[in-house]
Amino acid sequence: MSSTVRPRAQEAPPAAGGGAGSAPGPAAGARPGGPAGSGLGHRLRRDRSLLLMTVPAVGLLGLFVYVPLIWTTVAFKDYDPFLAGLWASPWTGAENFSLLFSDSRFWDAAANTLAITFLQLTLFFPIPIALALLLNSLLSDRVRGAVQSVLYLPHFFSWVLVVTVFQQMLGGAGLLSQFLRERGHEGFDLMTDPAVFKFLVTAQLVWKDAGWGVIVFLAALAAVNPELYEAAAADGAGRLRRMWHVTLPALRPVIALLLVLRVGDSLTVGFEQILLQRDAVGPGASEVFDTYVWWVGIANGDYGVAAAGGLIKGVFSLVLVLLANKVAHLLGEQGVYRR
Amino acid sequence: MPKFQAPDHRAAPGRGRPSRRAVLAGAAAAAAAAGGVPLLSGCSAGESSGRDGTTGGKDLKKLLPTYVASRVSDPDIPGRNGSSPGFTRAPAPEDLTRSVRSAPGGGGTYTAFTPLWGTPPPKDALYYRAVNKELGATVRWQTQDGNYYGEKLSAVLASDDIADIVCVPQWEMQGRVHGAISAKFADLGPYLSGDRVKKYPNLAAIPTDAWRMSVFGGRLRGLPMPARPLGGVIPFYRQDLFEKEGYEVPRSPAEFLALAKEITRPKSRVWACEDMWWSAQIIFGCPPEKPYYWTEENGKLVHKVETDAYLEALEWTRKLYAAKVVHPDAVAGKANDMTVRFTSGQSLMMNDGDGKWYGLTFEQATANPGFRIQAMDFFGADGGDPVLYQGAPANIWSFLNKNLSKEQIEECLALADFIAAPYGTREQRLIEYGIEGEHHTIEDGVPVKTEKGVKEVLDTYRFVVSPQASVAYPDHPRMVKDYCGWMQRMGRHMRKPLFHGMQIQEPNRYASLYTPFEDLNKDVVRGRKPMRDAQRAVEDWRRGGGDKLRDWYAELLEKNGSGV
Repeated sequence: MSSTVRPRAQEAPPAAGGGAGSAPGPAAGARPGGPAGSGLGHRLRRDRSLLLMTVPAVGLLGLFVYVPLIWTTVAFKDYDPFLAGLWASPWTGAENFSLLFSDSRFWDAAANTLAITFLQLTLFFPIPIALALLLNSLLSDRVRGAVQSVLYLPHFFSWVLVVTVFQQMLGGAGLLSQFLRERGHEGFDLMTDPAVFKFLVTAQLVWKDAGWGVIVFLAALAAVNPELYEAAAADGAGRLRRMWHVTLPALRPVIALLLVLRVGDSLTVGFEQILLQRDAVGPGASEVFDTYVWWVGIANGDYGVAAAGGLIKGVFSLVLVLLANKVAHLLGEQGVYRR
Repeated sequence: MPKFQAPDHRAAPGRGRPSRRAVLAGAAAAAAAAGGVPLLSGCSAGESSGRDGTTGGKDLKKLLPTYVASRVSDPDIPGRNGSSPGFTRAPAPEDLTRSVRSAPGGGGTYTAFTPLWGTPPPKDALYYRAVNKELGATVRWQTQDGNYYGEKLSAVLASDDIADIVCVPQWEMQGRVHGAISAKFADLGPYLSGDRVKKYPNLAAIPTDAWRMSVFGGRLRGLPMPARPLGGVIPFYRQDLFEKEGYEVPRSPAEFLALAKEITRPKSRVWACEDMWWSAQIIFGCPPEKPYYWTEENGKLVHKVETDAYLEALEWTRKLYAAKVVHPDAVAGKANDMTVRFTSGQSLMMNDGDGKWYGLTFEQATANPGFRIQAMDFFGADGGDPVLYQGAPANIWSFLNKNLSKEQIEECLALADFIAAPYGTREQRLIEYGIEGEHHTIEDGVPVKTEKGVKEVLDTYRFVVSPQASVAYPDHPRMVKDYCGWMQRMGRHMRKPLFHGMQIQEPNRYASLYTPFEDLNKDVVRGRKPMRDAQRAVEDWRRGGGDKLRDWYAELLEKNGSGV
């Protein structure tokens, strides 16, 4: 989380000064030891305790992220986990990839993933920001606490529960449908309509996680110096102008950071959620990268092709995150990192 | 196989996950030759150690254990037309016989990796301790949620940490798992083949058909759970509600559709049926699932998806969906809650595995005494006699780790011999009902599980090995009569699929050839894809390897003969 805090701390002063997009200096002020670069040995000695503190996290990262990466070679092998294992399975070059690309289901999955990604970025992402602004404008702490609790709660529900709730509400035998039927109208079934599926899963995501997403933005808002509002008000700025000139600039670095992170993660559009509703609308409308990989690899035992699919997704995500970071830099934001 | 309901308990047709695999769960089979005479087709030598193929002829004959019938108790309803025998009465505790000497084990400890449908009992449950004591050995259970068993199984098989006893159901032998069995598990031939099995009388009483299915990679490796014939897909209906409303049980696809329209009243939250795709396939005479999906026409092998029957079944099921007589939650693919909708009267007809017959009867007996589940007789496409393909004689096996020593394997087999005790023995009563006074009480002469019994005595040992399939639920004799009667009537129309009773391993390269059809079927019946997509898929299947697979099977047929 330190990375989310740092840019804000650095960017807050220029934002507070009203100037937009003044690039911060190279991490000045963050280090007590003055200009860096007095040799590796010196830096190691100086940061010894900090480095020691990162060891457990780096160890976990290595063990659970980097070591398993060795198995991505499965994408280039005729992998038999039972008889041959990773090392003895024969290399097959790009055969798994050509199988993957000739599978129309993979392209369905790619199209669906991109469509859902787009919907989530445009429909989901702004909602926590809007909610944070709304909550921030509530004066009564008690009301704010209550609303926040209600908003957070669905985050702790499992997807099975969320999907069941939606089925019971919006399904063909659901509450709304029955309500209409009892009054002599036609029922409806939103859950089995492939045309609205992508909106449906986005709506489920909003219902479940928008409240949770508010937290980071609220924290950012809490860091805004109240004197800025007072000064703006004294200069005759109304509510909207204060939001535009004070609140939003304060939020901007966080928004940019989360957006970049979200883009890198954006091809992960929900696994359990989709898998649970796959039969309702069919794979043509619902298959995404993750469910495709699960289906091919885990369910059918075609590990090589599944690994190839996973690898493609990973490479694609990397490209997206680099692009998004670049765009953030062009807009004058810190982004995730800066070289 | 009294009280056995696990594989079909949840994993029956369409549980939201791969239902092709699931349907095999309940798919029964069997002992048409319940007498157990080896049903060997005269055939030439098969591949004896190859990774794919089958084993037949003399090679197979040499491997099979000698059948020695068990004469512990005569069934109240004898088997007819291949039906499983039924037991409606229970011997008094003092009349139970002993089929094996007590404590056959030698004090060893073994881990067992098996699926379980239901809430697992605590590891130190009294039931486990009691059975272990009687076994004279300790079985440490590593039970897994049956609905997600395949994923766990694959991970475990790929590791070196494999339990001593591992259960592998047929429907989890996807892709390479089939081949892994030969590499990871012990050859039981030296202990069981021929007369050697006589050392274990209860294992010797398992029908030969089931043993024949237990040969993997040219070696006898599996301890089978014999299955009932025609148990996989049963079209159930709510007899109590049918009688109340005056509905006639349909006798043709057209009558079914008409009745379904009559029953459906969405305003009152009543829909006629659940997804009936599995029944539809049987009604229209489709062959069963892999590897039994071939028929022979004019000397040429024809795959299930190439038959008219398959398209007709799709078309009819599609009509049910189009008429909106299928429960909306079933349309949404929520197959897991099917039985809840059925028992609560939201849907009146469903197809499911045979385990539900007893399972739901038992479950509803106290809460809903009026509840009565019944199976409708299958009818043919034109309302005439149906063509019913017999199920595989065994779908579930347990295997012993190949790292076990000779003594350990012998001890495990002695334990299996205890567990395979037939109806009417003390061993069977213990395995099925636990301890009297703790897990069950005798009411009106039949054992009835107590609350503790319901919690602890689940189908666990059954997944190591089971005796010959039977219908033995003395606490619900009417259900036993219903089921046995249905099986006897349906048995008249039963025929064997082309490769009946043969354990066949397809080459890996065809592993994913058939899988697209599962999604396709769901899309077509729900009207999301047109019928011609199904026809096109068959073309793709042929070009994508289907024709080669046909040649492969034709060669297999030539070498080993058919199973008919």
